[in-house]
Amino acid sequence: MATRVQSARGQSARGQTDRQTRQAATHDGFLRHANFKWLKIATILCLVVIASYAMIDVTPRHNGGSWYGYTLGTVGVLLILWLTALGVRKRTMTPGRWSLKAWTSAHVYLGLSLIVIGTLHTGFQFGWNVHTLAWSLMMLVILSGLFGIAVYAALPSALSNNRDEMTEAQMLEALRAMDRQIHDAAQPLPREMAEVVSRSLGQDAFGGSAWNRLTGHYPRCATSAALARVRVTTGPQADVGTDPLEKVDTLLERKQAMLGRLRRHLRLRSMLEVWLYIHVPATIALLAALTAHIVSVFFYW
Amino acid sequence: MAFLLRTIAMTVDGREIVRDTRIEKPQISVGRSAERDIHLADLAVEPDHARIEQLDDRRILVRSVGTLGFTSDGRASQRSEIDSTSGAELGFGGHKITVGREGDAITLTVRRESALSDAAEEKDEAEVFSLKGKLPGKRPMAWLLLVAVLVAFLAVPIISFSLRPAKADPKTSHVVGDKAWSPGALSDAHHALEKNCTACHVKPFESVRDTSCKSCHADAHDHAPAARIADAREKPGIGGAFLQSVAHTFGKPGPGACVDCHREHDGAGRMAVTSQKFCADCHGTLKSRLPDTKLGDVSDFGTAHPEFQPLVAVKAGLPGGHPTFERISLASRPKDLTGLKFPHDLHLSKTNGVAKMARTLAGEQGYGDALACKDCHTPTADGARFLPVDMEKDCQACHSLAFDNIGGTVRTLRHGKPDQVVAEIRAFYRSTGPVAPLELGGLGRRRPGQYAQGQVYSAYFGAVPVRPARGEQAIATAFSAKGVCGECHSVSAPGANGAKGWQVVPVHQTSRYMEKGWFSHAAHKTEKCESCHNAPASSSASDLLLPDLKSCRTCHGGEGSNAKVATGCALCHNYHAEDGAPWLVKRKVAQGRFDTDRQHP
Repeated sequence: MATRVQSARGQSARGQTDRQTRQAATHDGFLRHANFKWLKIATILCLVVIASYAMIDVTPRHNGGSWYGYTLGTVGVLLILWLTALGVRKRTMTPGRWSLKAWTSAHVYLGLSLIVIGTLHTGFQFGWNVHTLAWSLMMLVILSGLFGIAVYAALPSALSNNRDEMTEAQMLEALRAMDRQIHDAAQPLPREMAEVVSRSLGQDAFGGSAWNRLTGHYPRCATSAALARVRVTTGPQADVGTDPLEKVDTLLERKQAMLGRLRRHLRLRSMLEVWLYIHVPATIALLAALTAHIVSVFFYW
Repeated sequence: MAFLLRTIAMTVDGREIVRDTRIEKPQISVGRSAERDIHLADLAVEPDHARIEQLDDRRILVRSVGTLGFTSDGRASQRSEIDSTSGAELGFGGHKITVGREGDAITLTVRRESALSDAAEEKDEAEVFSLKGKLPGKRPMAWLLLVAVLVAFLAVPIISFSLRPAKADPKTSHVVGDKAWSPGALSDAHHALEKNCTACHVKPFESVRDTSCKSCHADAHDHAPAARIADAREKPGIGGAFLQSVAHTFGKPGPGACVDCHREHDGAGRMAVTSQKFCADCHGTLKSRLPDTKLGDVSDFGTAHPEFQPLVAVKAGLPGGHPTFERISLASRPKDLTGLKFPHDLHLSKTNGVAKMARTLAGEQGYGDALACKDCHTPTADGARFLPVDMEKDCQACHSLAFDNIGGTVRTLRHGKPDQVVAEIRAFYRSTGPVAPLELGGLGRRRPGQYAQGQVYSAYFGAVPVRPARGEQAIATAFSAKGVCGECHSVSAPGANGAKGWQVVPVHQTSRYMEKGWFSHAAHKTEKCESCHNAPASSSASDLLLPDLKSCRTCHGGEGSNAKVATGCALCHNYHAEDGAPWLVKRKVAQGRFDTDRQHP
């Protein structure tokens, strides 16, 4: 056991050094692209909008329906359309000034600047109407995107640490190997024990709800239940190496550890994916709400 | 009589390995234990699960040993008789045993059907590791939301709008779902229209027109003739002209449309006050565009407002006529010829005879140590202005017109009727003799010498025949400058201005000097009268005691200024010309907001 831990530590330390080398040598992610060029542009844009909002005297009060409000609204809607275009643009990878990376960098920072532009467009007038619906959807899209950036920045290293250089196929294969061994070891067991063990074999390691995945919490884990049941018998008795249950106990414990790693992996992966399940449909809903918002304004002009 | 046991196993690459074993026994056992004849390495199978016995050449009996059964052709059972010629399929856990016949032997083909564990089954790695299938798909959700939003917030209101009855009741809504289009609550004044968008938004894609407003506000007076307003309006700069052209491109009315000043959907409560900028846009530099205007340029009360021009009497009226009025700037210190002689200083003094008289009458009239403004000036019911001072009510307590006392009843001259006064005095002198000297009373003997010239008899009896003529002298005295009439009024003697009798110059008391602006005394209760009207220093009734612009500016500044009371145009002026208080003031009075020290328009 001690050797295993040591080797795991060694591997993870090696992984970290590799990553650092990779980052230093070539990698310049979309967040740092071109020395934060788009972050600077978006910041300037926000400052200009905030300053003009403060300085331009719209009477009786700031409002989406003033000339300034319409200007911000037009800028906002053009930005939203362009940001949405990333969904199409991302399917073609190109290098250079208009590279996908540059585009994504701009997408992130200009998208964040919409918080300022969109909110000042409202003049802080909110209500239960299609206009605030559009704003809320916009904020939902931005915040889900922000979550996406946060997990992209934070999780890959955790994911890599957890994987410990195993591929997903290897994880699956390890699980299968574990199951085969448990299956073989459980053959001599009496019916009741065999049933308990067989439930562990029969349970889908990829089952459970999205909630289980995201929290990494599986209260109905059959392997834990099997191990607990087996422990009731093996716990109090001495391990003399003859009882097949002892072997099953060890194997189940190893499977549980394997499952733990797999579930952490699934949890991290689902965190990296889940925001898109909000970001994408909310974007499309936003386009619909934006259409309704604009048409309704002109319909009741 | 034998069983032919045929075991089919699969290699990793999917090939089948078939192994035949002949068992020469009438009964064989099935179970997970290695010593069973048919050994099924299957955790769902009991170590000793079942027996298979030959009943005769063709038939076999399958029965469970324990409580765990098996399936026979898919049906769960504990015991089953099978004819081997017709065959059957038995299920033990994840294994299938197919019963058949080959020659004289009964074949039992054993095959593992289900995978050893769930993980061992075929898995699509790209899918199982992702969230796919765990959450509603992105694409279906996107479509669902797209359609839901477009239907609920666009299709439903538009279709409902186009299908609404042509002659709809304006009080109720006939458009379903358009409430969600309202960007904010209407002001209190228009709250009743909250559910009836089409009352103002009449045609689709046409902005709200003045006609919609005027269908209710028919009595809103025009500020000035439209052509004159158009001339007066400041020409926009490059930016303004651009915005105007954009607004026109999108079909906005104006400039000068109702909605340019009266903005709606800014939330429940009071409608936002129109800022002074809207007025100053024209009035700030009005003279440069309307050279013939009589109005001074004004853009801010605190910094750019012309001096007040009250309407004053520049010439007193002739008796029976009217004074001549003119608007004159307070800067040229105009006089207001009221027709009265009234020194405020004398009446407000705290030390002279007036003050002494006030103290004498304090119990009866409610005066203080000296006269105060309120002793003569009574506010109007709304508190905005003051009623004209009334001789009988406000002056007569001191300035008595009594001239006779008959048995305790006091006879007074008729105020405001000079002819009556003359007649009363004449009648008085005709009907009464001179006062008889005491010496003429009693029964005492009178000596002749007393009839001599200059003596009592001579004086009395000489006065009796001329007594009626003495009335004319009394009349002249009454109308003289120091007389009972002339001390307050300007009087013209008989013969003047072609009149036969005595005449009094008409008195006028102005109740509202500034008719273009609104002023309410009620709103200034916190101040003393003297802080604006310097009456204690005025010695003539023609002194105009109005405070000037500078005096008002000690408290009032322009909109947004730091003055004690920041004052927009609308506090004193009405855009839609009418006689009453400006709309803003009416609203504030209704809300009781004029009782605070600091007021904002």
